[in-house]
Amino acid sequence: MSSYQVVREGAKQVIKLLEKFPEERFKYLVSFKATQLERFSRIAGLPISQKSSSEIANNKASIDEIKDIVNRTSGPLGLQKEMLKKMQAAIPHDQFSEASMKDQINALSNLVGNKYKNYYEVGNKLYNPAGNPEYYQRIIDDIQGKKKENILAGLRTVFMGR
Amino acid sequence: MLKSVLRNSGSSNISRISRTNILKNVGAHPFVYYSTTRKTSPLEQTKNISSNEFEFSTKGAPIVRGKNSTATEYTLPKWKEALGEYVIKTFGLDMDKIRAGPVAGSYYYSICKEQGLQYENEPLSESAKFFYEELKLPRTFSQWFQITALHEWMLFVRMRAMPFKYGRNYQQKLVDKTFNDIEMRLFDEMNIHSGRIVDQYSKDFNSQLKGAVFAYDVGFYTDDATLATAVWRNLFGGRKNIDYSHLDAVVKYIRSQLYVMSRMSDREFALGKFKFVPAKEKINKLTSAEEKEMKEKIIKKYEELDKSGLLLPSDRSNLSYDN
Repeated sequence: MSSYQVVREGAKQVIKLLEKFPEERFKYLVSFKATQLERFSRIAGLPISQKSSSEIANNKASIDEIKDIVNRTSGPLGLQKEMLKKMQAAIPHDQFSEASMKDQINALSNLVGNKYKNYYEVGNKLYNPAGNPEYYQRIIDDIQGKKKENILAGLRTVFMGR
Repeated sequence: MLKSVLRNSGSSNISRISRTNILKNVGAHPFVYYSTTRKTSPLEQTKNISSNEFEFSTKGAPIVRGKNSTATEYTLPKWKEALGEYVIKTFGLDMDKIRAGPVAGSYYYSICKEQGLQYENEPLSESAKFFYEELKLPRTFSQWFQITALHEWMLFVRMRAMPFKYGRNYQQKLVDKTFNDIEMRLFDEMNIHSGRIVDQYSKDFNSQLKGAVFAYDVGFYTDDATLATAVWRNLFGGRKNIDYSHLDAVVKYIRSQLYVMSRMSDREFALGKFKFVPAKEKINKLTSAEEKEMKEKIIKKYEELDKSGLLLPSDRSNLSYDN
Protein backbone atom coordinates (compact mmCIF):
# COMPACT_ATOMS: atom_id res chain seq x y z
CA MET A 1 0.00 0.00 0.00
CA SER A 2 1.41 3.38 -0.90
CA SER A 3 1.68 6.02 1.77
CA TYR A 4 -1.10 7.99 0.07
CA GLN A 5 -3.49 5.11 0.56
CA VAL A 6 -2.39 4.67 4.18
CA VAL A 7 -3.18 8.30 4.87
CA ARG A 8 -6.58 7.93 3.23
CA GLU A 9 -7.36 4.87 5.30
CA GLY A 10 -6.18 6.76 8.38
CA ALA A 11 -8.51 9.62 7.56
CA LYS A 12 -11.41 7.18 7.39
CA GLN A 13 -10.52 5.92 10.84
CA VAL A 14 -10.39 9.50 12.10
CA ILE A 15 -13.88 10.06 10.70
CA LYS A 16 -15.17 7.01 12.53
CA LEU A 17 -13.71 8.35 15.78
CA LEU A 18 -15.06 11.84 15.16
CA GLU A 19 -18.53 10.43 14.70
CA LYS A 20 -18.29 9.06 18.23
CA PHE A 21 -17.92 12.60 19.57
CA PRO A 22 -21.04 13.61 21.49
CA GLU A 23 -23.46 15.97 19.80
CA GLU A 24 -23.05 19.49 21.08
CA ARG A 25 -26.08 20.31 23.15
CA PHE A 26 -25.33 23.96 23.18
CA LYS A 27 -25.27 25.81 19.90
CA TYR A 28 -21.89 27.39 19.34
CA LEU A 29 -20.73 29.50 16.43
CA VAL A 30 -18.54 26.71 15.13
CA SER A 31 -18.99 23.04 15.67
CA PHE A 32 -15.88 20.95 16.19
CA LYS A 33 -17.49 17.81 14.89
CA ALA A 34 -18.88 19.34 11.72
CA THR A 35 -15.75 21.24 10.70
CA GLN A 36 -13.43 18.36 11.45
CA LEU A 37 -15.63 15.80 9.70
CA GLU A 38 -15.54 17.97 6.63
CA ARG A 39 -11.79 18.40 6.85
CA PHE A 40 -11.10 14.69 7.03
CA SER A 41 -13.74 13.76 4.49
CA ARG A 42 -11.72 15.78 2.03
CA ILE A 43 -8.55 13.89 2.90
CA ALA A 44 -10.30 10.54 2.80
CA GLY A 45 -11.85 11.43 -0.53
CA LEU A 46 -15.37 10.88 0.78
CA PRO A 47 -18.32 13.01 -0.26
CA ILE A 48 -18.89 15.84 2.17
CA SER A 49 -22.11 15.33 4.05
CA GLN A 50 -25.17 17.25 2.99
CA LYS A 51 -25.50 19.14 6.22
CA SER A 52 -22.03 20.61 6.34
CA SER A 53 -22.02 21.63 2.68
CA SER A 54 -25.34 23.42 3.04
CA GLU A 55 -23.97 25.22 6.07
CA ILE A 56 -21.09 26.50 3.98
CA ALA A 57 -23.47 27.70 1.27
CA ASN A 58 -25.39 29.71 3.85
CA ASN A 59 -22.34 31.58 4.99
CA LYS A 60 -22.14 34.96 3.39
CA ALA A 61 -18.38 35.05 2.89
CA SER A 62 -16.01 32.13 3.11
CA ILE A 63 -12.65 32.48 4.81
CA ASP A 64 -10.90 32.40 1.44
CA GLU A 65 -13.02 35.28 0.22
CA ILE A 66 -12.25 37.31 3.31
CA LYS A 67 -8.54 36.56 2.94
CA ASP A 68 -8.77 37.69 -0.67
CA ILE A 69 -10.43 40.97 0.28
CA VAL A 70 -7.93 41.53 3.06
CA ASN A 71 -5.00 40.90 0.73
CA ARG A 72 -6.26 43.17 -2.04
CA THR A 73 -6.70 46.27 0.06
CA SER A 74 -3.55 48.19 0.83
CA GLY A 75 -4.07 48.81 4.54
CA PRO A 76 -6.29 45.88 5.39
CA LEU A 77 -8.53 46.34 8.39
CA GLY A 78 -5.87 47.98 10.47
CA LEU A 79 -3.58 44.99 10.18
CA GLN A 80 -0.10 45.44 8.87
CA LYS A 81 1.10 43.26 6.03
CA GLU A 82 3.86 41.88 8.19
CA MET A 83 1.34 40.79 10.84
CA LEU A 84 -0.79 39.09 8.20
CA LYS A 85 2.22 37.14 6.99
CA LYS A 86 2.94 36.09 10.54
CA MET A 87 -0.65 34.97 11.01
CA GLN A 88 -0.62 32.98 7.80
CA ALA A 89 2.67 31.37 8.71
CA ALA A 90 1.21 30.41 12.04
CA ILE A 91 -1.50 28.24 10.52
CA PRO A 92 -0.18 24.68 10.21
CA HIS A 93 -0.55 23.12 6.79
CA ASP A 94 -2.85 20.21 6.34
CA GLN A 95 -0.51 17.54 5.07
CA PHE A 96 -0.31 14.23 6.80
CA SER A 97 2.33 11.58 6.66
CA GLU A 98 1.67 8.03 7.80
CA ALA A 99 3.20 8.76 11.18
CA SER A 100 1.33 11.99 11.80
CA MET A 101 -1.96 10.40 10.78
CA LYS A 102 -1.29 7.66 13.31
CA ASP A 103 -0.78 10.31 15.98
CA GLN A 104 -4.10 11.89 15.13
CA ILE A 105 -5.85 8.55 15.51
CA ASN A 106 -4.10 7.84 18.81
CA ALA A 107 -4.98 11.23 20.24
CA LEU A 108 -8.61 10.99 19.15
CA SER A 109 -9.08 7.53 20.56
CA ASN A 110 -7.65 8.72 23.88
CA LEU A 111 -10.23 11.50 23.94
CA VAL A 112 -13.17 9.38 22.83
CA GLY A 113 -12.19 6.66 25.31
CA ASN A 114 -12.24 9.13 28.21
CA LYS A 115 -8.70 8.07 29.08
CA TYR A 116 -7.72 11.04 31.21
CA LYS A 117 -11.00 11.50 33.00
CA ASN A 118 -10.81 7.91 34.15
CA TYR A 119 -7.13 7.92 35.00
CA TYR A 120 -6.99 11.24 36.87
CA GLU A 121 -10.08 10.55 38.96
CA VAL A 122 -10.89 13.61 41.06
CA GLY A 123 -13.87 12.09 42.81
CA ASN A 124 -16.90 13.68 44.40
CA LYS A 125 -14.77 16.33 46.02
CA LEU A 126 -14.64 18.26 42.77
CA TYR A 127 -17.68 16.86 40.94
CA ASN A 128 -20.02 17.69 43.83
CA PRO A 129 -18.07 20.59 45.32
CA ALA A 130 -18.78 21.31 48.96
CA GLY A 131 -19.54 24.98 48.42
CA ASN A 132 -22.08 24.35 45.70
CA PRO A 133 -22.90 20.64 45.31
CA GLU A 134 -25.49 21.04 42.56
CA TYR A 135 -23.40 23.40 40.43
CA TYR A 136 -22.48 21.11 37.53
CA GLN A 137 -25.67 19.10 37.55
CA ARG A 138 -27.72 22.27 37.16
CA ILE A 139 -25.72 23.36 34.13
CA ILE A 140 -25.98 19.95 32.49
CA ASP A 141 -29.70 19.64 33.20
CA ASP A 142 -30.30 23.03 31.73
CA ILE A 143 -28.42 22.56 28.46
CA GLN A 144 -29.85 19.09 27.99
CA GLY A 145 -33.31 20.51 28.54
CA LYS A 146 -34.09 17.95 31.22
CA LYS A 147 -35.11 20.36 33.89
CA LYS A 148 -35.87 23.97 33.16
CA GLU A 149 -35.62 26.14 36.19
CA ASN A 150 -38.22 28.72 37.03
CA ILE A 151 -37.53 32.37 37.60
CA LEU A 152 -37.39 32.03 41.38
CA ALA A 153 -34.51 29.57 41.21
CA GLY A 154 -32.78 31.91 38.79
CA LEU A 155 -33.26 34.91 41.04
CA ARG A 156 -31.98 32.97 44.01
CA THR A 157 -28.78 32.22 42.11
CA VAL A 158 -28.38 35.84 41.15
CA PHE A 159 -28.74 37.09 44.73
CA MET A 160 -27.30 34.23 46.75
CA GLY A 161 -24.65 33.15 44.29
CA ARG A 162 -25.73 29.51 44.17
CA MET B 1 0.52 36.55 55.62
CA LEU B 2 0.00 40.22 56.02
CA LYS B 3 3.64 40.76 56.46
CA SER B 4 4.90 41.02 52.99
CA VAL B 5 2.96 42.59 50.25
CA LEU B 6 4.05 42.18 46.71
CA ARG B 7 3.26 44.96 44.36
CA ASN B 8 2.57 43.91 40.81
CA SER B 9 2.95 40.25 41.28
CA GLY B 10 4.50 39.80 37.89
CA SER B 11 6.47 36.68 38.38
CA SER B 12 7.70 36.13 41.88
CA ASN B 13 5.67 34.53 44.62
CA ILE B 14 4.61 36.01 47.87
CA SER B 15 7.52 35.57 50.13
CA ARG B 16 6.64 34.59 53.62
CA ILE B 17 8.91 35.72 56.32
CA SER B 18 6.67 35.23 59.29
CA ARG B 19 8.42 33.37 62.05
CA THR B 20 9.54 30.54 59.86
CA ASN B 21 12.27 29.71 62.32
CA ILE B 22 9.68 28.73 64.93
CA LEU B 23 7.44 26.83 62.57
CA LYS B 24 10.35 24.87 61.18
CA ASN B 25 10.61 22.77 64.33
CA VAL B 26 6.95 21.82 64.22
CA GLY B 27 7.48 20.12 60.93
CA ALA B 28 7.38 22.23 57.83
CA HIS B 29 8.58 19.61 55.41
CA PRO B 30 7.26 19.51 51.89
CA PHE B 31 4.40 17.18 51.09
CA VAL B 32 4.07 15.24 47.93
CA TYR B 33 0.72 15.48 46.20
CA TYR B 34 1.89 13.59 43.18
CA SER B 35 4.99 12.02 41.82
CA THR B 36 6.31 12.99 38.46
CA THR B 37 8.51 11.58 35.81
CA ARG B 38 10.32 14.13 33.78
CA LYS B 39 9.97 13.61 30.10
CA THR B 40 11.63 15.49 27.33
CA SER B 41 8.30 16.63 25.99
CA PRO B 42 4.61 16.17 26.74
CA LEU B 43 4.08 15.64 23.05
CA GLU B 44 6.52 12.79 22.85
CA GLN B 45 4.38 10.87 20.46
CA THR B 46 4.39 13.70 17.96
CA LYS B 47 8.17 13.59 17.75
CA ASN B 48 8.10 11.47 14.62
CA ILE B 49 6.24 14.10 12.64
CA SER B 50 8.76 15.43 10.19
CA SER B 51 9.44 18.97 11.17
CA ASN B 52 8.25 20.82 8.09
CA GLU B 53 4.66 19.67 8.34
CA PHE B 54 3.44 21.75 11.23
CA GLU B 55 6.19 24.27 11.02
CA PHE B 56 5.69 27.91 11.73
CA SER B 57 7.69 30.74 13.08
CA THR B 58 7.18 31.95 16.62
CA LYS B 59 8.39 35.45 15.97
CA GLY B 60 6.50 37.34 18.59
CA ALA B 61 3.87 39.99 18.49
CA PRO B 62 5.35 43.27 19.66
CA ILE B 63 4.57 43.12 23.35
CA VAL B 64 7.26 44.71 25.43
CA ARG B 65 7.35 44.62 29.18
CA GLY B 66 5.93 47.83 30.56
CA LYS B 67 7.37 49.82 33.41
CA ASN B 68 4.59 48.71 35.74
CA SER B 69 5.26 45.04 35.14
CA THR B 70 8.60 44.80 36.82
CA ALA B 71 8.14 43.20 40.21
CA THR B 72 9.15 45.17 43.23
CA GLU B 73 9.02 43.71 46.68
CA TYR B 74 7.78 45.62 49.63
CA THR B 75 7.93 44.58 53.24
CA LEU B 76 5.81 46.13 55.95
CA PRO B 77 7.70 47.86 58.73
CA LYS B 78 7.71 45.90 61.99
CA TRP B 79 5.46 48.27 63.89
CA LYS B 80 2.76 48.05 61.22
CA GLU B 81 2.99 44.29 61.36
CA ALA B 82 2.55 44.31 65.11
CA LEU B 83 -0.37 46.71 64.85
CA GLY B 84 -1.99 44.49 62.23
CA GLU B 85 -1.69 41.40 64.40
CA TYR B 86 -3.11 43.34 67.34
CA VAL B 87 -6.11 44.53 65.33
CA ILE B 88 -6.82 41.02 64.01
CA LYS B 89 -6.66 39.58 67.50
CA THR B 90 -8.76 42.23 69.24
CA PHE B 91 -11.54 42.39 66.71
CA GLY B 92 -11.46 38.67 65.97
CA LEU B 93 -11.22 39.23 62.24
CA ASP B 94 -11.92 36.30 59.95
CA MET B 95 -8.51 35.69 58.41
CA ASP B 96 -9.84 33.13 55.91
CA LYS B 97 -11.84 35.91 54.35
CA ILE B 98 -9.07 38.48 54.44
CA ARG B 99 -6.53 36.04 53.07
CA ALA B 100 -8.44 35.83 49.79
CA GLY B 101 -6.78 39.07 48.72
CA PRO B 102 -3.12 38.13 49.08
CA VAL B 103 -3.57 34.47 48.18
CA ALA B 104 -6.14 34.40 45.37
CA GLY B 105 -5.80 37.97 44.16
CA SER B 106 -2.07 38.18 44.29
CA TYR B 107 -0.39 34.77 44.41
CA TYR B 108 -2.88 32.65 42.46
CA TYR B 109 -3.27 35.33 39.86
CA SER B 110 0.48 35.59 39.46
CA ILE B 111 0.86 31.87 38.76
CA CYS B 112 -1.96 32.01 36.22
CA LYS B 113 -0.46 35.03 34.57
CA GLU B 114 3.07 33.76 34.22
CA GLN B 115 2.03 30.56 32.42
CA GLY B 116 1.56 32.27 29.10
CA LEU B 117 3.45 35.49 29.69
CA GLN B 118 5.74 36.44 26.84
CA TYR B 119 7.57 39.55 25.75
CA GLU B 120 9.17 40.10 22.42
CA ASN B 121 12.65 40.85 23.68
CA GLU B 122 12.76 38.22 26.41
CA PRO B 123 13.30 34.46 26.15
CA LEU B 124 10.20 32.33 26.72
CA SER B 125 9.73 30.72 30.10
CA GLU B 126 9.40 26.94 30.36
CA SER B 127 5.62 27.04 30.60
CA ALA B 128 5.35 29.57 27.79
CA LYS B 129 7.44 27.30 25.58
CA PHE B 130 4.84 24.60 26.01
CA PHE B 131 2.06 26.88 24.81
CA TYR B 132 3.78 28.87 22.10
CA GLU B 133 6.32 26.44 20.73
CA GLU B 134 4.89 22.99 21.26
CA LEU B 135 1.22 23.83 20.85
CA LYS B 136 2.11 26.45 18.21
CA LEU B 137 -0.24 29.10 19.53
CA PRO B 138 0.23 32.63 18.21
CA ARG B 139 2.15 34.96 20.49
CA THR B 140 -0.50 37.59 21.00
CA PHE B 141 -2.14 39.37 23.90
CA SER B 142 -5.51 37.68 23.47
CA GLN B 143 -3.82 34.29 23.37
CA TRP B 144 -2.16 35.13 26.66
CA PHE B 145 -5.61 35.92 28.02
CA GLN B 146 -6.98 32.56 26.90
CA ILE B 147 -4.10 30.72 28.57
CA THR B 148 -4.63 32.71 31.77
CA ALA B 149 -8.38 32.05 31.65
CA LEU B 150 -7.78 28.32 31.34
CA HIS B 151 -5.59 28.30 34.44
CA GLU B 152 -8.00 30.49 36.37
CA TRP B 153 -10.84 28.15 35.55
CA MET B 154 -8.83 25.25 36.98
CA LEU B 155 -8.46 27.19 40.20
CA PHE B 156 -12.19 28.03 40.17
CA VAL B 157 -12.97 24.31 40.08
CA ARG B 158 -11.01 23.81 43.27
CA MET B 159 -12.36 26.97 44.90
CA ARG B 160 -15.92 25.74 44.45
CA ALA B 161 -15.05 22.82 46.71
CA MET B 162 -14.18 25.20 49.55
CA PRO B 163 -16.97 26.34 51.91
CA PHE B 164 -19.20 28.57 49.83
CA LYS B 165 -18.54 31.81 51.65
CA TYR B 166 -14.78 31.54 51.28
CA GLY B 167 -14.59 29.88 47.87
CA ARG B 168 -16.78 32.55 46.36
CA ASN B 169 -14.62 35.27 47.83
CA TYR B 170 -11.46 33.65 46.45
CA GLN B 171 -13.00 33.51 42.98
CA GLN B 172 -14.07 37.13 43.21
CA LYS B 173 -10.62 38.32 44.20
CA LEU B 174 -9.00 36.37 41.39
CA VAL B 175 -11.32 37.87 38.78
CA ASP B 176 -10.96 41.39 40.18
CA LYS B 177 -7.20 41.22 40.00
CA THR B 178 -7.32 39.79 36.49
CA PHE B 179 -9.24 42.69 35.06
CA ASN B 180 -7.27 45.29 36.98
CA ASP B 181 -4.14 43.82 35.54
CA ILE B 182 -5.50 43.54 32.00
CA GLU B 183 -6.47 47.17 32.10
CA MET B 184 -3.02 48.12 33.32
CA ARG B 185 -1.33 46.01 30.65
CA LEU B 186 -3.48 47.43 27.86
CA PHE B 187 -2.48 50.97 28.79
CA ASP B 188 1.08 50.21 29.70
CA GLU B 189 2.18 47.51 27.30
CA MET B 190 -0.19 47.57 24.36
CA ASN B 191 0.11 51.37 24.24
CA ILE B 192 -3.59 52.10 24.05
CA HIS B 193 -4.26 55.66 25.10
CA SER B 194 -8.03 55.69 24.86
CA GLY B 195 -9.96 54.64 27.94
CA ARG B 196 -13.00 53.87 25.82
CA ILE B 197 -11.12 51.28 23.77
CA VAL B 198 -9.65 49.71 26.90
CA ASP B 199 -13.19 49.46 28.30
CA GLN B 200 -14.34 47.75 25.13
CA TYR B 201 -11.51 45.24 25.30
CA SER B 202 -12.20 44.59 28.97
CA LYS B 203 -15.86 43.85 28.24
CA ASP B 204 -14.81 41.56 25.44
CA PHE B 205 -12.40 39.69 27.68
CA ASN B 206 -15.11 39.46 30.32
CA SER B 207 -17.50 37.71 27.99
CA GLN B 208 -14.68 35.48 26.76
CA LEU B 209 -13.95 34.48 30.33
CA LYS B 210 -17.61 33.69 31.02
CA GLY B 211 -17.89 31.62 27.86
CA ALA B 212 -14.68 29.75 28.56
CA VAL B 213 -15.64 28.95 32.13
CA PHE B 214 -19.04 27.67 31.02
CA ALA B 215 -17.59 25.50 28.26
CA TYR B 216 -14.82 24.08 30.43
CA ASP B 217 -17.29 23.34 33.22
CA VAL B 218 -19.46 21.30 30.89
CA GLY B 219 -16.42 19.50 29.51
CA PHE B 220 -14.99 18.81 32.93
CA TYR B 221 -18.23 17.27 34.18
CA THR B 222 -19.12 15.25 31.08
CA ASP B 223 -16.21 13.70 29.20
CA ASP B 224 -12.81 14.21 27.63
CA ALA B 225 -14.24 14.67 24.14
CA THR B 226 -16.40 17.59 25.25
CA LEU B 227 -13.52 19.09 27.18
CA ALA B 228 -11.38 18.80 24.05
CA THR B 229 -13.92 20.68 21.96
CA ALA B 230 -14.08 23.38 24.63
CA VAL B 231 -10.29 23.66 24.52
CA TRP B 232 -10.41 23.78 20.74
CA ARG B 233 -12.95 26.61 20.70
CA ASN B 234 -11.25 28.70 23.36
CA LEU B 235 -7.54 28.03 23.62
CA PHE B 236 -7.03 27.19 19.95
CA GLY B 237 -9.52 29.78 18.72
CA GLY B 238 -11.47 27.19 16.72
CA ARG B 239 -8.86 26.87 14.01
CA LYS B 240 -9.61 24.26 11.44
CA ASN B 241 -6.20 22.69 10.95
CA ILE B 242 -5.81 21.51 14.49
CA ASP B 243 -3.35 18.78 15.37
CA TYR B 244 -5.31 16.40 17.61
CA SER B 245 -2.24 15.43 19.60
CA HIS B 246 -2.16 19.06 20.82
CA LEU B 247 -5.75 18.76 22.05
CA ASP B 248 -4.86 15.47 23.68
CA ALA B 249 -1.88 17.05 25.45
CA VAL B 250 -3.95 19.96 26.79
CA VAL B 251 -6.77 17.72 28.05
CA LYS B 252 -4.20 15.58 29.82
CA TYR B 253 -2.60 18.70 31.28
CA ILE B 254 -5.93 19.97 32.62
CA ARG B 255 -7.04 16.67 34.12
CA SER B 256 -3.69 16.10 35.80
CA GLN B 257 -3.61 19.57 37.37
CA LEU B 258 -7.13 19.06 38.69
CA TYR B 259 -6.05 15.72 40.08
CA VAL B 260 -3.27 17.38 42.05
CA MET B 261 -5.69 20.02 43.35
CA SER B 262 -8.25 17.42 44.35
CA ARG B 263 -5.70 15.78 46.65
CA MET B 264 -5.09 19.00 48.56
CA SER B 265 -7.01 19.93 51.67
CA ASP B 266 -8.98 23.16 51.85
CA ARG B 267 -6.57 24.60 54.39
CA GLU B 268 -3.51 24.10 52.24
CA PHE B 269 -5.15 25.32 49.07
CA ALA B 270 -6.46 28.41 50.84
CA LEU B 271 -3.01 29.16 52.24
CA GLY B 272 -1.64 29.23 48.69
CA LYS B 273 0.34 25.99 48.71
CA PHE B 274 -0.68 25.03 45.19
CA LYS B 275 1.34 25.68 42.09
CA PHE B 276 0.84 24.37 38.59
CA VAL B 277 2.91 21.36 37.71
CA PRO B 278 5.01 22.08 34.62
CA ALA B 279 3.58 20.51 31.48
CA LYS B 280 6.86 18.69 30.89
CA GLU B 281 6.38 16.54 33.94
CA LYS B 282 4.10 13.57 33.69
CA ILE B 283 1.97 13.29 36.82
CA ASN B 284 1.71 9.80 38.21
CA LYS B 285 -1.18 8.89 40.43
CA LEU B 286 -0.57 8.28 44.10
CA THR B 287 -1.20 4.78 45.32
CA SER B 288 -3.83 4.54 48.05
CA ALA B 289 -1.12 3.82 50.63
CA GLU B 290 0.83 6.91 49.63
CA GLU B 291 -2.32 8.98 49.71
CA LYS B 292 -3.21 7.77 53.17
CA GLU B 293 0.28 8.50 54.44
CA MET B 294 0.24 11.99 52.95
CA LYS B 295 -3.13 12.79 54.52
CA GLU B 296 -2.04 11.55 57.91
CA LYS B 297 1.07 13.70 57.79
CA ILE B 298 -0.92 16.78 56.85
CA ILE B 299 -3.50 16.21 59.58
CA LYS B 300 -0.73 15.73 62.11
CA LYS B 301 1.09 18.85 60.98
CA TYR B 302 -1.93 21.13 61.24
CA GLU B 303 -3.21 19.61 64.45
CA GLU B 304 0.14 20.32 66.06
CA LEU B 305 0.27 23.81 64.62
CA ASP B 306 -3.20 24.65 65.86
CA LYS B 307 -2.50 23.29 69.31
CA SER B 308 0.97 24.80 69.67
CA GLY B 309 -0.31 28.35 70.01
CA LEU B 310 2.68 29.58 68.08
CA LEU B 311 0.61 30.74 65.14
CA LEU B 312 0.25 34.46 64.72
CA PRO B 313 -3.34 35.73 64.64
CA SER B 314 -2.88 36.42 60.92
CA ASP B 315 -1.82 32.83 60.23
CA ARG B 316 -4.87 31.21 61.83
CA SER B 317 -7.49 29.50 59.77
CA ASN B 318 -10.70 27.60 60.40
CA LEU B 319 -10.74 25.72 57.13
CA SER B 320 -10.55 21.96 57.34
CA TYR B 321 -7.28 20.19 56.70
CA ASP B 322 -8.59 16.64 56.57
CA ASN B 323 -10.48 16.57 53.30
